[in-house]
Amino acid sequence: MKLKLTSLLLILSILLSACGNLTQFLPGDSVIVSIAYGSEKKEWLEPLTAEFNAAQNKTAEGKTIQIEITPIGSIESVRGIMDGSLQPTVWSPASSVYIPVANAEWRKTHGDDLVTGAPKDLVLSPVVIAMWRPMAQALGWPEKALGWQDVAELATSAEGWSAYGHPEWGKFQFGHTHPAYSNSGIVSIIAEAYAGAGKQRGLTEADLQDAATRDFMTAVEKSVIHYGTSTGFFAERMFERGPSYLSAAVLYENLIVAQESKRLSGQSSQIPVVAIYPKEGTFWSNHPYAVLNAPWVTEEQREAAGIFESYLLAAPQQLRALEYGFRPADPAIALSAPLDSQHGVDISQPKTVLEVPQAAVIEKIQTLWQQTKKPVDLVVVMDVSGSMRGDRITTARASLLEFVKKLDDRARLQIILSSSEVSTLTPLSELGEKRQQVLDSVSGIFELGDTRLYDATLTAYQELSANGNPEHIRAIVVLSDGEDTASAATLDEINAQIAQFSGEGGNAIKVFTIGFGDNADTEVLKSIAEPTGGKQYDSSPENIQKIYDEIATFF
Amino acid sequence: MYTPRMNWILLILYGMIALGVFVAALLLPPFRAVAYAPVRELLLPPPAPVTLNLLYSTEKEAWLSEVIPAFEQSGASINGHPIRVELEKMGSWEINAAVLDGTRKPVLISPASMLQIAALQDASTAQFGKSLVNPANDPACLPVVKTPLTLVAWKERADVLWGQQPGASLWLNVHDALVNPQGWAAYNHADWGYVKFGHTDPLKSNSGFMTILLMSYGYHGKTSGLSPADILSDADFQAWFLETEASIGQFEYSTGPLMEKMIAYGPSTYDFVAVYEATAIEQAENAVGRYGELRIYYPSPLLWSDHPFCALQADWVTPEQSQAAQIFIDYLLSQPAQQTALLKYGFRPADASIPLEQPGSPFDRYAANGFRADLSGLPEVEIPAGNVLNTLRDFWSRNVR
Repeated sequence: MKLKLTSLLLILSILLSACGNLTQFLPGDSVIVSIAYGSEKKEWLEPLTAEFNAAQNKTAEGKTIQIEITPIGSIESVRGIMDGSLQPTVWSPASSVYIPVANAEWRKTHGDDLVTGAPKDLVLSPVVIAMWRPMAQALGWPEKALGWQDVAELATSAEGWSAYGHPEWGKFQFGHTHPAYSNSGIVSIIAEAYAGAGKQRGLTEADLQDAATRDFMTAVEKSVIHYGTSTGFFAERMFERGPSYLSAAVLYENLIVAQESKRLSGQSSQIPVVAIYPKEGTFWSNHPYAVLNAPWVTEEQREAAGIFESYLLAAPQQLRALEYGFRPADPAIALSAPLDSQHGVDISQPKTVLEVPQAAVIEKIQTLWQQTKKPVDLVVVMDVSGSMRGDRITTARASLLEFVKKLDDRARLQIILSSSEVSTLTPLSELGEKRQQVLDSVSGIFELGDTRLYDATLTAYQELSANGNPEHIRAIVVLSDGEDTASAATLDEINAQIAQFSGEGGNAIKVFTIGFGDNADTEVLKSIAEPTGGKQYDSSPENIQKIYDEIATFF
Repeated sequence: MYTPRMNWILLILYGMIALGVFVAALLLPPFRAVAYAPVRELLLPPPAPVTLNLLYSTEKEAWLSEVIPAFEQSGASINGHPIRVELEKMGSWEINAAVLDGTRKPVLISPASMLQIAALQDASTAQFGKSLVNPANDPACLPVVKTPLTLVAWKERADVLWGQQPGASLWLNVHDALVNPQGWAAYNHADWGYVKFGHTDPLKSNSGFMTILLMSYGYHGKTSGLSPADILSDADFQAWFLETEASIGQFEYSTGPLMEKMIAYGPSTYDFVAVYEATAIEQAENAVGRYGELRIYYPSPLLWSDHPFCALQADWVTPEQSQAAQIFIDYLLSQPAQQTALLKYGFRPADASIPLEQPGSPFDRYAANGFRADLSGLPEVEIPAGNVLNTLRDFWSRNVR
């Protein structure tokens, strides 16, 4: 009996040792890799992430890899990483252009680079000026090479499109994203600075002090209808609203391919759009994949991030990038449809690139842009009715204060309060002269009485139409937490007023509406905002600050 | 007189001895091979392999990842212990640095050229009083495949710039094209911007270092006898050299990635780059799918990347590992591995009996792009002494980075 037991134990122990490491068969925990990425590759990256996660890929230790991706403006993400509010394992901005600036910033507090080694590119796409094909043809495209110089000439011409035989197209309306948030914004202003200085490489701080550079940037910026946080959003705006809204915008080649694919398959009824590769040179959007050299990144996350990188760079995933209009980073994949003239692009372009300036020069260009960008005339309408009491009025007030602090001195600001009465807290005038006074007044706002949303909005629209400078970006921000209860004006009157100015296209007054809390009438707010080219936001005390931040990127 | 109880004890004793012998037999590698396989695999872990840690430069990655599995599957072993190769890729100069500072203790190293072996011989003698490598008379330290440093351009642009040959002095021509403020406008192609050239970081990558070494020889019009004074005491040379380097926006860390970048981004980003002939061959087909044909130029004089494999003569290397290293190197020099290196990866075999121009050879396939099997007419530069190499590296490090 005893012998049998001993033999059984012996056999069992031999079998167990033969099985080797059993732990790999047991359910282990997972390792999470968070990725902050430039939103332009969303269409490609999202399905691939889902497929990778579903396949339950494992690290060498047998932990399941879970990838979490968050789209965020490439420049905006740098601020988040620096202040610690964003702690991704991997940072994949739209291009490498800003990496030296991020490294310089990181070194100040960490004594080392944030991005070390040489991150690999995931996909490529050149930065281009997207223009409606008939407009490009009017400028001589495709026989004539076009560039930043042509944009500047059009922008400064009093005649606008009339000078090119098309008075019906009105003024030249141009757009690029906000350089403090988005990669295409920063490369737009670097390219403008180069064109202004008449150079293609070796841009210096001295070049930026030159009057010619400053004048050139001011000229181009004059034709901008508004800025914005993401390139994808800009593209959407342009392709939804058509040539009356924007004549041209700085986008990536892949966004044009995507739009033309939609148009050719009948999903978009817009006229064709083409990519203009600036003749002076451009930049590549190369989507580097950088595992951060940050204290919050663990060794196993680094390993897992590497496995996901290899997956994205493998041939099947690279081939799919082609479908979305990217040029694959893998040189073994030939450039083919839809990268063709049918889809508005030309793979023999770009012919040349601009040299990426040093970090210090890029920072100086950002400062110069602040001085040369198109100023804003802004009216803020704030609902201070009784229903705003408590948490709501406190957070609304605090976020408005932060919003005002973000506006530059050249911004002209008016604030209208809406309750039982419509009153002006401060009239339309330059913020630089009255900043402290405005901040003090906003701090003293309290809630009282009814909601006169329509009256207040109509007043704002009429006063901005009368007093605003049409050469500036003109915008209204309306914050409301409930239905209109006491207005003399109606929604129809507001819509009629807006319709009256629709001929101004992209230069018309834009209305941004914020529905604050659950009782806000979001449908009404949407019907006011969207026809103007503005945007409606749903908000709560938790995210109101973020929404004000996003609206600020338009100017 | 045996009792039944004693019988039992003896039976158990014999049983244990038999089991012990059986297990011991299985454990001894020479016996393992003849043991009944299913039992062997079920009961016991495989015999410990002899591991060869190999630090190698990236250009050989594709070739090695094909031949190493074949080597391991060939059943190569030492006293029944199978030989395993553990690979780690690095820049050629980084290999030297890692060995010297002790962060890596490899059995074998394979930088891109004998330049690094010469430098390691000097540096390790200075540091340890004895060299870690002995290329002069060690059968386990010798070149395995070779490829020259070349200039590779987009054909469309090469035709405008140089045509068949860039004139008498390649490097003087390169400098002049790069620094011309008119850029391509000087060649009636203003739309191509300025002329853009790339080579790798000479502190990390061998091809970058070979480039600046050839540039220095080229400026001085020599093929031998480059001295520290040529680098440090000639202001005209320094100005010329630094102007060339200032035109380069970014120095990639390794040759393969530089070439891939040229192909992925196209002529907008690099008009031409300095890479190995084999690297160019690897991408010649891809180039056509992206932006067009390539055109290769052989500088005269030439400098070879000869990919030595050297077993280190270090105290962390066991005699078994040394023997295994020799077996591995012999395998790399065998006909099939050498043929693969030529036909699939564009390396010139160390085995001179293998013809370069044979059916399927890249020298046949890409002859129209300027690839030439026979380079015997071109002079070669002399590899300078370690102190000259270090002077050049230091000069670059102080003034360019």
